[in-house]
Amino acid sequence: MDILLLKGTALFYLLAMGTFFLYLILLKDTYARIGPIVLLIGFALHTAALGGQIAQNGFPAVTDLREALSIYSWLIVGIYLLVQLKYRLTVLGCFVAPLAFLMALAGVTFGSGAGELPPGLKTSWLYLHVTLAFLGNAVFALAFAVSLMYLVQESRLKSKRMTALYKLLPSLERLDRLNYVFLVWGFPLMTLGIVTGSLWAGVYWGTYWSWDPRQISSAITWLLYASLLQGRITGGWRGRRAATLTIVGFVVVLGYFLWGDSVFPSRHAGNFD
Amino acid sequence: MHKEIVIVGLNHRTAPVEVRERVAFEQSILRDALRCLRALRSIQESAVLSTCNRVEIVAATSDKEGAFAEVKQFLLEQEAAVGESSLEDHLYAYAGKEAVRHLFRVAASLDSMVVGEPQILGQLKDYYVAAQEAGSIGTILHRLFHRSFTVAKRVRTETGIASRAVSIGSIAVELARRIFDTLEDKTVMLIGAGKMGHVVARQLKRGGVSSLMVTNRTFERAVEAAAEFEGNPIRFEEMPRYLKLADLVVGCAGVPEFLLKPDIVEETLKERKHQAMFFIDLGDRRNFDPRINAIADVYLYDIDDLQAVAQENLDGRAAEVAKAERIVDEEVTGFFGWLDSLDQVPTIVALRHRLEEIRRNEIEKSLRTSLKDLSEKERRAIDDMTSAMIGKILHGPISRLKKPSDEQDEALYIEALKKLFGLEDK
Repeated sequence: MDILLLKGTALFYLLAMGTFFLYLILLKDTYARIGPIVLLIGFALHTAALGGQIAQNGFPAVTDLREALSIYSWLIVGIYLLVQLKYRLTVLGCFVAPLAFLMALAGVTFGSGAGELPPGLKTSWLYLHVTLAFLGNAVFALAFAVSLMYLVQESRLKSKRMTALYKLLPSLERLDRLNYVFLVWGFPLMTLGIVTGSLWAGVYWGTYWSWDPRQISSAITWLLYASLLQGRITGGWRGRRAATLTIVGFVVVLGYFLWGDSVFPSRHAGNFD
Repeated sequence: MHKEIVIVGLNHRTAPVEVRERVAFEQSILRDALRCLRALRSIQESAVLSTCNRVEIVAATSDKEGAFAEVKQFLLEQEAAVGESSLEDHLYAYAGKEAVRHLFRVAASLDSMVVGEPQILGQLKDYYVAAQEAGSIGTILHRLFHRSFTVAKRVRTETGIASRAVSIGSIAVELARRIFDTLEDKTVMLIGAGKMGHVVARQLKRGGVSSLMVTNRTFERAVEAAAEFEGNPIRFEEMPRYLKLADLVVGCAGVPEFLLKPDIVEETLKERKHQAMFFIDLGDRRNFDPRINAIADVYLYDIDDLQAVAQENLDGRAAEVAKAERIVDEEVTGFFGWLDSLDQVPTIVALRHRLEEIRRNEIEKSLRTSLKDLSEKERRAIDDMTSAMIGKILHGPISRLKKPSDEQDEALYIEALKKLFGLEDK
């Protein structure tokens, strides 16, 4: 049942991706309207699949990549749909849909290898920590997409070589404002994610900070985003500089998310002792 | 002597803006320039056309090669103040049909960077009036310019070119909308009194801009323009101080050197906490240092950039352009029909013919009625007498026509003769 729902999810994310790409190529508004709807159907299936899993196994501990990708893509799509409602940013869908599809596909392909959690870890701290950390990262994924669009649009305007793309992309001012909105939402979520994780570690391992590689990478990203937020609020850190820093921060997170665990053994990768 | 039309100049295709601005004729020196042209020996009529996209001298001459050489020299001297010598590579020179076709294409906006843009016709008319006032224009160029206006009108009404044209103003607004989300909370600073700048400022206002500052070297003109745009006039010296309030800066001042250099802009940007600035340079000579575009969060577009963008926005006009080119061809042929008729020899022949015709008709009529009883000898006497009369009447005018005191008068006399004697419609 779950796997069927997940396959359906992947299919609809794929269809949404196709629709968004058709919009990019043909520039017909019809596709811009259909895209988010197709994505919404995929999102509904995805929600059902996750709901089924939670009903069956309880809240996911996100102990393997499969689960992580699944929840991650669900959050990104969800946040995007909210943003689309408020800001009508169809182009962002062109970034989100392929991302969601790839993640959902990985979720279907990889076998379910959910490691058993030591009973002591199964506290509500865990759920709070995982939810906040993932929400924060999902918001930063969108901030990343918006920043990328900013750099593309900026280079078009600077070089004065206008292709069809430049008409699709929103104004620099709007992209920059969205970067700020995502930063303002993502940063507290990330902070709370780190704090709850640290408190939980304090309860379980007896120490709030254990120089775990994931803790270190999170701290680096946190410092980066903190200085960006500070720079934005007090000085003139905006535009190109803000976009570049957002991208760097997200690449650190993403890189660690994908490969970090295999390079640096971490307690986040299933070795909970 | 047969007159030819020649055009020497350069345009956006043959020369970049750095070169064009070096030879541009500002309003203040236009009269002197026209006077200098009048003094050139090889040309009899002349006009100057100087816009941000082209600088051209249109002339009527009876010595094509001499005219090419003298007009080229004239343009090179105009540029000499700057002291560069590569100008000649950018010049083109047309004569005869090519020249007429060129001017018609310019008037019809077929030679514009943005094909179909309407501003060029107005500019052409202004320069025609200036040449007229300076007295440098004669019969041939009068006719040429008037025909070119007609061509432009025909192309505008008979083809779809104009409706597809995208004005520089709307391109500027579109670009502004890619930088700024809305124009409503933005401020524009308008520097100078150039026509294009005012067109763009008006478009920006229509695009939603509510706040506008106007500055000009002559404060009174800034006040006038500010009243027109419902903006605030600013003294020219205070411009750098107010710059930080401007999100969009439109430059259209006639200035010998850059008004704004990168250092001032960088300073301003710091004060603005790096809020984006959009500079639009519409001066015939550039107002803003091009290096400004390299500064982060600053976007500088000059007239060439805007037009290049406009051009990319246009497509599928090939059929309309072909239609317009056919109209131009038609008109060129028509114009040469007229120009050829200005030749002395055919005119004189036609005139003799005309009078001879009248004489014969009258004699025949009289001989048939009141004088029908005359003898053969008497008839021949009347014939000889009237022939001699016509010859005497024509002698003065024709010899003066063949040796006009002022070469400019030649075409005028021929034109007058043709009109007075109805020689045109045969």
